[in-house]
Amino acid sequence: MTAPVSAPPPSAGPVLALRHISKSFGMTRALSDMSLSLFPGEVHAVVGENGAGKSTMIKIMTGVHQPSSGTLEVDGVALRLSGTKDARQAGIAAIYQEPMVFPDLDVAENIFISATGLGLVQNRAALRSRARSLIDRIGMTLDVDRIAAGLTLAEQQAVEIARALSQDVRVLIMDEPTASLSDHEATQLRQIARTLSGQGVAVVYISHRLEEIFDVADRVTVIRDGQHISTRPVAEVTPDGMIGEMVGREVGNYFTKAPSHTRPEVMLSVQNLGCADAFEGISLDLHAGEVLCMAGLVGARRTDVALSLFGIQPATSGQVAWLGQPFHATSPAQAIEAGIAYVSEDRRKLGLALPMAIRANITLATLNAILSRLGLIDRAAEQGIAESFRKRLNIRTPDVETSVGMLSGGNQQKVMLAKWLEMRPRLLIFDEPTRGIDVGAKAEVHDLIRTFVKEGGAALVISSDLPEVLALGDRILVMREGRQMGILDHDDATQETVMRLATGATSLKGAA
Amino acid sequence: MTLLRRLQSWEGFLLAALLCIIVMNSILSPQFLTVGNQINLFQLSIEKVIVALIMTFVIINAEIDLSVGSMMGLSACAFGWLFHQGVDPVLAVVICLGIGALGGALNGWFIARVGLPSLVVTLATLIGFRGLARVLVEDRGITDFPDWFDALGQQGFLGPIPFALIAFVVLFVFLWVVLQRSGFGRKTYVIGTNREVAIYAGIDTARHKMIIFTASGLISAFAGLLFAARVGAVRGDVALGFELDIITMVLLGGVSIFGGTGTLMGTLLAILIVLNLRNGMALVNITGHIQTGVVGMLLIASVLVPRIDLGRLRRSKEETA
Repeated sequence: MTAPVSAPPPSAGPVLALRHISKSFGMTRALSDMSLSLFPGEVHAVVGENGAGKSTMIKIMTGVHQPSSGTLEVDGVALRLSGTKDARQAGIAAIYQEPMVFPDLDVAENIFISATGLGLVQNRAALRSRARSLIDRIGMTLDVDRIAAGLTLAEQQAVEIARALSQDVRVLIMDEPTASLSDHEATQLRQIARTLSGQGVAVVYISHRLEEIFDVADRVTVIRDGQHISTRPVAEVTPDGMIGEMVGREVGNYFTKAPSHTRPEVMLSVQNLGCADAFEGISLDLHAGEVLCMAGLVGARRTDVALSLFGIQPATSGQVAWLGQPFHATSPAQAIEAGIAYVSEDRRKLGLALPMAIRANITLATLNAILSRLGLIDRAAEQGIAESFRKRLNIRTPDVETSVGMLSGGNQQKVMLAKWLEMRPRLLIFDEPTRGIDVGAKAEVHDLIRTFVKEGGAALVISSDLPEVLALGDRILVMREGRQMGILDHDDATQETVMRLATGATSLKGAA
Repeated sequence: MTLLRRLQSWEGFLLAALLCIIVMNSILSPQFLTVGNQINLFQLSIEKVIVALIMTFVIINAEIDLSVGSMMGLSACAFGWLFHQGVDPVLAVVICLGIGALGGALNGWFIARVGLPSLVVTLATLIGFRGLARVLVEDRGITDFPDWFDALGQQGFLGPIPFALIAFVVLFVFLWVVLQRSGFGRKTYVIGTNREVAIYAGIDTARHKMIIFTASGLISAFAGLLFAARVGAVRGDVALGFELDIITMVLLGGVSIFGGTGTLMGTLLAILIVLNLRNGMALVNITGHIQTGVVGMLLIASVLVPRIDLGRLRRSKEETA
């Protein structure tokens, strides 16, 4: 793919340039032949799907990762950044979605937290006046004596930006800075980005909110699958063109949609479900034999919906009917009792006891079923269950005594699935069921989901992998920032329509 | 190397160490292998080793209970006080066990339901229970317990074997079955390994922790009564600082302070090692302070060895990731 020629740069040479950078982690290629130039005084938006390589690129710019090949140039001179400290010295800083502030210190102290050589007995007055001038420089009004604990997220972001400026920053990377902000706060933050670019700072702006890219950016770079797709002045970009470039692939390259097994009876009916500070207005009907996929970008709060149904984070508004009965789970035990299982996206933290044996992990959620009257574990039964899943799911391991931590990601995933299948659920909620596992294991997991619904179960699949969503989902519910943007039938869904809803470019009026 | 095998190898190491100590001791002193010495060796620390059994559960659950020594003291002092108020001694025993269960449940409530760290909660009750014990007996010593009570602590119950030793064996067998064979034991390990995983699997982790801390208080109170019976007197400083010896034995037995790993057999081996080592050193007139130093060095080794392994494990995982 050839990159369209970019508009004439705002001024002379690039302050930071990536030249043909590739980065691999083991067998996975995160970036390949990535080139990008940043000029002083521009706001440069970088967009791409989840997993397109944006984070890896930032980590290379800030010295967290070193490129496998290619060079990074600052002011035209090739540099090797072997850590964030090197990047800071070169004038490159990054702020993230979750700002890091010390709640017990005041604003001025937070700004100069990493400044060294100020001595123990700092001149507090000088410190404060410097802090004030930095806050002024980004165009905020903020009392530097305020304790950080009371700051809003946007103010905390401002403190982080001021902290970066205190060390002479020339390239400021803002990684989804507005993802958790309200509209008003997001506007404030975009103004800061504009103010800084006006002062000659090169701002890299990463966001999933397409509308704000048109508001703030001078140029837009699209990346996909670790590759540079295009860089254009924002005036030459349309939302549709951008989404098309982000999505790219031909649908059906990897996965083809299997026929639907949807039966007429409704198993789960959700009406206007909401949970304070997370999501609101979720309504859906899930039928026996149906796979309903939930699509959306990072921060769409799809997992929160799943956790509400599973009882971890009980809903605060709306109604759920399960198998025709009102249902309100306040603990996972209740959900499990009702036949609802939740396969977590974070198998290391939430799904598996890694040091423990495969056998013990598989029976974890159904332990009571293999206890004798005295509460002792029936070891033969446990062994039998574990062995049968090892064969059925093709878990590659020498024996079921092996600790789960020793297995590959795909096999760990299968052990986690076995744990929930053993419970014989009626509804399985899968949260990113194939993230980080290889293509072969992916196909096996898809088969397993299809078999499950074919036998009459219902599946709710949260996935950020669009081809997967289109291959699995009989219907697709799209969320964005805690709101339901619409439900698409499989036949109406394309990567473009899903992305358009997920990014808020359009919304389906009157859907669901 | 699986974790299971590593644990087995740690227990194998403890067993080998124990055999070495026993052989050395019997060479050093002909007295060592007599029944009298073996019983005596247990009898002197019997209260601590009983509490070490339940402490194994607490630490595998990734918690700590620092208040056990104070609870032993509180239970012993409460018994002495009640007895001198004219309360029937059998009733007094029941009340003291109740105090233990209640105190343990208090710890458990703050830790499991309120969510405070066990280190802080049980440090507070370490001070609180001890304070109560001192309030009850002030700076007196209380003696003159009924004969049957003293005899329970001081004489053989089954032949030459004292009651406390029998209680220890029974408790060990019972707790071993619970920890290594029951669903409760399995949940203890899972919660200690990763509490979130347990919660997501529908396990009521708060209730589980409540049960363990209540049992810890109850068994500590029981051990405190055994102490009162054996010594035949109570004072405000009964069992002062015992919690550290108890935790030492458990850690030495290969139970990880981070939770999730260890076995009751490991704790038993560590108990036997500490007791035999101290006894052997005493038989050849090595002073108590040096004995303590040797046990301390053993503890450092026990914490260090699994950590080195863990570091290697983590590194190799990163390489494959």
